[in-house]
Amino acid sequence: MSKMATLPPLPMTRPKLAALARQKLPCSPVTIPRSQLIKEKDDIDHYVEVNFKGLSKEEVAAYRNSYKKNICVDMLRDGYHKSFTELFTLMEQWDALREVARIRSLQWLQKPLEEQPDKLDHFYHYLTRAEDAERKGYFEDVYQNLYALACYFNNSEDKWVRNHFYERCFGIAQLIKIDGGKREAEAHGNMGLLHEEDGQLLEAAEHYEAFHQLTQGRIWKDETGRFLNLLACECLLRTYRLLSDKMLENKDYKQAIKILIKACEIAKEGSDQHMQGEASYYLGLAYLAAGEYNTALTALNTYSKISTDQDDDLNLGRAYEAIAKVLQSQGEMTEAINYLEKVVKLARNNFQSLDIVRASTMLGDIYNEKGHYNIASEYFQQAFDETVGEMNMPLMEETKVHYGIAKAHQMMLTVTNYIESADLTSLGYLLSWKETRSDIEPQPVTGEFTSSTVEDVSQNSEHVEELDFQITKKNET
Amino acid sequence: MNVIYPLAVPKGRRLCCEVCEAPAERMCAACTVTYYCGVAHQRADWGSIHEKICQLLIPLRTSMPFYNSEEERQHGLQQLQQRQKHLIEFCYTVAQKYLFEGKHEDAVPAALHSLRFRINVHGLSSVELVPAYLLLAEASLGLGRIVQAEEYLFQAQWTVLKSTDCCNATHSLLHRNLGLLYMAKKNYEEARYHLANDIYFASCAFGTEDIRTSGGYFHLANIFYNLKKLDVADSLYTRVSEIWHKYLNDHYRGLVQARVQQMDLLGKRFENDTGLDEAQEAEAIRTLTSILSIRESTFNKTPQKTVFVLKTLVMLCYLMMNYSKAQEYAMRALSLAEEKQLDAQEQNAIQELLCLISAEDHPIT
Repeated sequence: MSKMATLPPLPMTRPKLAALARQKLPCSPVTIPRSQLIKEKDDIDHYVEVNFKGLSKEEVAAYRNSYKKNICVDMLRDGYHKSFTELFTLMEQWDALREVARIRSLQWLQKPLEEQPDKLDHFYHYLTRAEDAERKGYFEDVYQNLYALACYFNNSEDKWVRNHFYERCFGIAQLIKIDGGKREAEAHGNMGLLHEEDGQLLEAAEHYEAFHQLTQGRIWKDETGRFLNLLACECLLRTYRLLSDKMLENKDYKQAIKILIKACEIAKEGSDQHMQGEASYYLGLAYLAAGEYNTALTALNTYSKISTDQDDDLNLGRAYEAIAKVLQSQGEMTEAINYLEKVVKLARNNFQSLDIVRASTMLGDIYNEKGHYNIASEYFQQAFDETVGEMNMPLMEETKVHYGIAKAHQMMLTVTNYIESADLTSLGYLLSWKETRSDIEPQPVTGEFTSSTVEDVSQNSEHVEELDFQITKKNET
Repeated sequence: MNVIYPLAVPKGRRLCCEVCEAPAERMCAACTVTYYCGVAHQRADWGSIHEKICQLLIPLRTSMPFYNSEEERQHGLQQLQQRQKHLIEFCYTVAQKYLFEGKHEDAVPAALHSLRFRINVHGLSSVELVPAYLLLAEASLGLGRIVQAEEYLFQAQWTVLKSTDCCNATHSLLHRNLGLLYMAKKNYEEARYHLANDIYFASCAFGTEDIRTSGGYFHLANIFYNLKKLDVADSLYTRVSEIWHKYLNDHYRGLVQARVQQMDLLGKRFENDTGLDEAQEAEAIRTLTSILSIRESTFNKTPQKTVFVLKTLVMLCYLMMNYSKAQEYAMRALSLAEEKQLDAQEQNAIQELLCLISAEDHPIT
């Protein structure tokens, strides 16, 4: 009623409400001209608007409704219905994911979208821009906006949102014709990444192949200035390697080798020495696993050659180690030893203690098999010393055992000699050894074996038998 | 005994016109419980709704018979409630259908009945009244009585504002009507705001791709069309026709499948139907034909989309068993497709539909 008080007197004899009431039922005869009534109503509205400064409609809506609703309504008002649909579906998915997490009682740290206004703002900004561009047919702009959104959500929690926009980008990129396929290539790369992260390696490889094909012979670069073609090669090789790993696990050597050969060819085309070397390395390993030693050696030799050319000691070390493994499997021990010694030298120079440990252990093994227990235990000790510096407990334990075995072998010879000779002096030696349990050899016996007795020796002989068994097995294969 | 004399009515008992609530001077001879102020209103009511509910009103308006036990009394009351609820729904649907057919004058009495029964059942301040208010507002808008429509709508808005448990569907309807009101007042800014709200609420209630959401898109498209923002309007119209096409297509496929599976068993064919109520059917026809005419007049550079709308219409008419109409639309689509040299696949699809229609039109007996 405050309106009534502030209104200027109107040239109306009838009270207004009564007039309105008479007008209310549709079948009552119309007596007041409608235009007059409308005018009167509009006057009131205008008067109130001018004289009563309160909240505007937008302010009221912002206060009453959630931010999510306001954003949606804002989009729709300007006709951005596709953006609205997209945002709406995403929010529904978001809620569904939360629900699933809740049911599994996982810790879901994400707040609902409604409580993250900055994310909603980003959605609003880029989606509406993209739709605008889409209406005008500027697909390039659409792509850029969607890609920006994908980048914005590129963190571990919102990965699925990013994936959604990668897929959208992929769809849009197919429509962009003028840039010769650069966007399409990028989109393929993104899709490949998406599938790779999901573990769908075959699909990923397909996309990366398309990516690689589209970028071939082009000098496109990405935002960080890297050549797209190189990037494609890298991704493709990585996927191929993962694929072949899986196949090797399933003992599907033929397929794995086929894929790795393909990888080698691609690396060759990519004209990046490092990648080429890498590819041949994995090919060599696959051949080794398949038991084709000669081809494995060729592949690995390529690798070692490339590494030498590049002066890359680390990779050279890896190459030699792999070659040694092949040679060892072939039974050519002397050559294997040669290579391994080279590895040890290289690793020494580069302070790669892990490599030293591996190589020394392998050397020790070989000598152990050949019966040169002295040298074997020397190498094992070397390995053991390195692990002590590394603070790697499991590895240390392992080398400890190796070392112990070698040591036992070494001692067993002397002990059996004494027993076989069966005279008093020998008996004396044995007894005194049993007393002190140390100096039968000039070196002190360390580790677990200091406390062991003859039982221990018999245990060690078991180990020897085991080793023999292993050797025969290896020779069989 | 059609005429009654107000002065002869017992004291304290006031007989009002069913339509305008003025003192009554006539009575319906068939049910004897309905009164009118004059022949005009009686005729209007009869034509609108009374013919359909005349006999149903008798138990509601005569006093309850005497019951011997409490149990029976409760049962009787429950029955009464049931009848009223049924009438609410019935009057509502009838009014809605009139509205979609554009017979606004006829819709008013039916909508008023619905409102009155709602007040009886739910009380004056219930959210249940809102749909009836909205119908009345829509009818008033159709009749060009803007002020009156505004009254009804503000009443509805106030009711919704006060209540805490109003469902999204009602919110959506309210905003749609408010949007229409502001459209009629040519206040497009406000209209857009309300229609946006309508779409939002409808999406919350039914999903973004539902036919019940499509109405909001359609009105929004009309606004942009009036504002000469043709690209926006075009994309919105496309959206609406896509929604309808998807619904009809799915329904049609489902029907065909059911037919194939059941035919051998019962040897009898499924009747065509749209799976919609009458109001929705009327809305579908109105929406699609107006999109068609707009497409033909304004967007004639994209015959693809016009053909798409025509195809949707063909499907709708076919499902509504209006075969001659379906055939007409199909012929139009075909000639347009041939004229503009659209791809063969499109033409084949239309041909297929045509075959289907002619098979239905002259069933092989």
